[in-house]
Amino acid sequence: MSPILRLRDTSVSYLRDGELVPAVRGVNLSLDAGETLGLAGESGCGKTTLAMSVLHLLPRSARLDGEVLLDGHDVRTLSWGELRAARWSSASVVFQGAMHALNPVRSIGAQIAEPMRLHEGKQSESRLRERIAELLEQVELPVRRVDAHPHELSGGQRQRVMIAMALACGPRLLIADEPTTALDVVVQSQILELLGRLVSERDIALMMISHDLSVLSSSCSELAVMYQGELVEQGPTDRVMADPGHEHSRALAAAFPTVGDSRFRFAPAGTRPSEEASSAEPGSALLAARGVSVNFGSGDGIHAVREVNLEVADNEILALVGQSGSGKTTLARTLLGLQRPSSGRVLFDGAELATSTRGLRRYRGQVQLVLQDPTGALNPRHTVYEAVAEGLRIHGATSDERDRVTEALEAAELRPAESFFARFPHELSGGQRQRVVIAGALVLRPSVLVADEPVASLDATVRGEILALLLRLRVERGLSTLVITHDLGLAWTIADRVAVMYQGHIVEEGEVEQVLLNPAHDYTRTLLAAVPSLREQPATER
Amino acid sequence: MTQVSEAPERVRPRGERSLRLARLVGAKIGGGLVSLFLVAVLGFLLFRVLPGDPARAMTRGAPVSAEQLAALRHRFGLDQPLWKQFLDFLVNLLHGDLGVSYTYSRPVAELIAERFWPTVLLTGTSTVIAVLLGLWMGTRAAWRHGGTFDRLSSSVALSLWSVPTFWLGLILLMALGVGVGPLPGLFPVSGMSAPDVPPGLLPRVLDTAHHLVLPCVTMVAVVYAQYLMVMRSSLLEEMGEDYLTTARAKGLREDLVRRRHAVPNALLPTVTLIFLHLGLVVAGAITVETVFSWPGLGLLTYEALRGPDLPLLQGTFIVLAGSVIVMNILADLLYHVLDPRVRGS
Repeated sequence: MSPILRLRDTSVSYLRDGELVPAVRGVNLSLDAGETLGLAGESGCGKTTLAMSVLHLLPRSARLDGEVLLDGHDVRTLSWGELRAARWSSASVVFQGAMHALNPVRSIGAQIAEPMRLHEGKQSESRLRERIAELLEQVELPVRRVDAHPHELSGGQRQRVMIAMALACGPRLLIADEPTTALDVVVQSQILELLGRLVSERDIALMMISHDLSVLSSSCSELAVMYQGELVEQGPTDRVMADPGHEHSRALAAAFPTVGDSRFRFAPAGTRPSEEASSAEPGSALLAARGVSVNFGSGDGIHAVREVNLEVADNEILALVGQSGSGKTTLARTLLGLQRPSSGRVLFDGAELATSTRGLRRYRGQVQLVLQDPTGALNPRHTVYEAVAEGLRIHGATSDERDRVTEALEAAELRPAESFFARFPHELSGGQRQRVVIAGALVLRPSVLVADEPVASLDATVRGEILALLLRLRVERGLSTLVITHDLGLAWTIADRVAVMYQGHIVEEGEVEQVLLNPAHDYTRTLLAAVPSLREQPATER
Repeated sequence: MTQVSEAPERVRPRGERSLRLARLVGAKIGGGLVSLFLVAVLGFLLFRVLPGDPARAMTRGAPVSAEQLAALRHRFGLDQPLWKQFLDFLVNLLHGDLGVSYTYSRPVAELIAERFWPTVLLTGTSTVIAVLLGLWMGTRAAWRHGGTFDRLSSSVALSLWSVPTFWLGLILLMALGVGVGPLPGLFPVSGMSAPDVPPGLLPRVLDTAHHLVLPCVTMVAVVYAQYLMVMRSSLLEEMGEDYLTTARAKGLREDLVRRRHAVPNALLPTVTLIFLHLGLVVAGAITVETVFSWPGLGLLTYEALRGPDLPLLQGTFIVLAGSVIVMNILADLLYHVLDPRVRGS
């Protein structure tokens, strides 16, 4: 029997400004029923383009060469009619970011029914409803949500809808493109488990695409690593993970550290464990929350933060972890003086936060914020120099502005600083942009940095560099950092202490080794169990 | 292990939903009434500060004695203090009485009612045509953007949009109404009906339609560009969205992807525009109605301004402003029905 999917010397190039730019070069792959293949790589490596070529969903400007055999038919030679018939019934796709992949104004039931109506001809409405109910049940969604619209569902629920929709016509191949990227660890593990179960129950082939090697290794039996359009490594997951043959595979693997592995402690990807980091002694409490609560709305409103006590000491990195909705961002906003606590106090250097506008402004010079998405945080029309100097100007112009900007850019490892002055954000890479944001924070010579998911939107190999920078800032300058994250691996790599937040409470707090290796609270254990681990065996081989 | 919930359930019982809807409709109508009251106050005050003595305007420059002027003032209540006049105005307004026109010596409400339908006929017809034409062309232009149709239709629409209404009206009137050189005039140049129409419904309808052509074409030509541009940019925005890739991956034909997924989403911003426009076109017809002597509210307003005929101006002002308010409320409510995301919040 022929494999479900076979790629022979597949290449895709895009026509840009009259030139063909290759995106995928000569890929060979084959996938059989029941097989699970993980396709790993960074953004721009061509993995999504490759996946889209399976259903010939490429834009007009793309040129597809080589063979793409789906169920034995080359999609390049199929007529449009045959191709449309093959789409979704032979192979279907679970897209990344289910919010945008679903039509916002149509009910989820209608969207699940659409491919069934299209591919299976006429059938009674009641039969259709029955089948939708069945599908929703399989993805563990309550059947009564059939009339809900995408915005009424959580990210995980939307991803479940996407999976139900993908299974609607009984395809033999499922392509999942970053199916869990925007999700929490806990929800992510639920979705991965669901995907694994459905794929093995139905004996269909799964091609999962992700930048996160740990996600792929926990759910796929085969791994393929893509780099600059080429497949640089392919083989059984165990082999690739244990003994990566290509440099890039090693870099990807290192970007998602294993919690508990001492090789990763204080050693962000590609760096050596820092001696100074592990031996440094934290100083006295610099920034502290005492019994802080934040409520939104009146009466029975939302209690986002409840009675929280937290301290960030001088010369330490504290990781605040929890899933989305746990209140960690609200707590950070309160610490920054952007949100007034409903009760309790925030202390900086032993003194309570000022409430006056001027006092708060002076305080914000001391405590600086670094946001998740550097592209959104930088004004596209400001040069790097302006972006960094802006903070100085707000806090009163200084005569040595140029020197301060240079110093900040160099501290953020953008060297030589002068060569970056006149550049605009779109001329920089993602990692460089985040460095500019960090430089913009450093220019005020703060004593505390609050970083909200500082690497979540960055590519795997760049993550390590940014984390190494944060670690170095603490070792070399004694800069305290509060890192807000849902990524326990990140906490393991750079933090001294970790605080776990759940439903507005800090449920556990302590040294990283103690909390992550011997968790005391149930919720911490849930979080740890949800982290896809490289040592875990793929579901299909169990 | 701790139960980790994903998100709070957000299912609302049906009863609560309809209650919310009723509350929303109530709030919108209440807000509309407040706006209408402010319009009435504004309408009253605005026309009191206009220069010119209304009593003198009534006499149209004919020589009158001081006693006759005083009698006129007394008859129209102009000798009363301002607050008393305002109070009378409000009480009458609540009874649907908008006063008596100076120039026509007839109740304003009656005049407006008479002129209302011709305006609705003109603006209604031209808006429907402009909307359909604009949305259709906008959709086509966006779907094949950068193509010949896109470039041609966008530039034609923009040129027409930038042309002053009265100028275009006059050109059409001369070219197609009066006739150029040996060419005879094809369409009537003024009014809504010819004096010598044979009796019977069909001839009258045809005659009115014949008269409608030129003013209608003028209004459509000027207005449709807006719908085209809004629809085009709105659809262009939607075309990059991932859910269209999902639809294509499902195996939908390209025209179904467009009709079923892209267009309904792209239409949403145009709904607001259409309704805002429906409110405004009543007023916007002033120029067209004046050029073509169409016996509608616009022409009436123009005549009232020449007076100045205070009660008539107040009346048309309130009706024009009121139609904008009503259309706004309708747009809000319709948006609520069309976009589930607005419903949820």
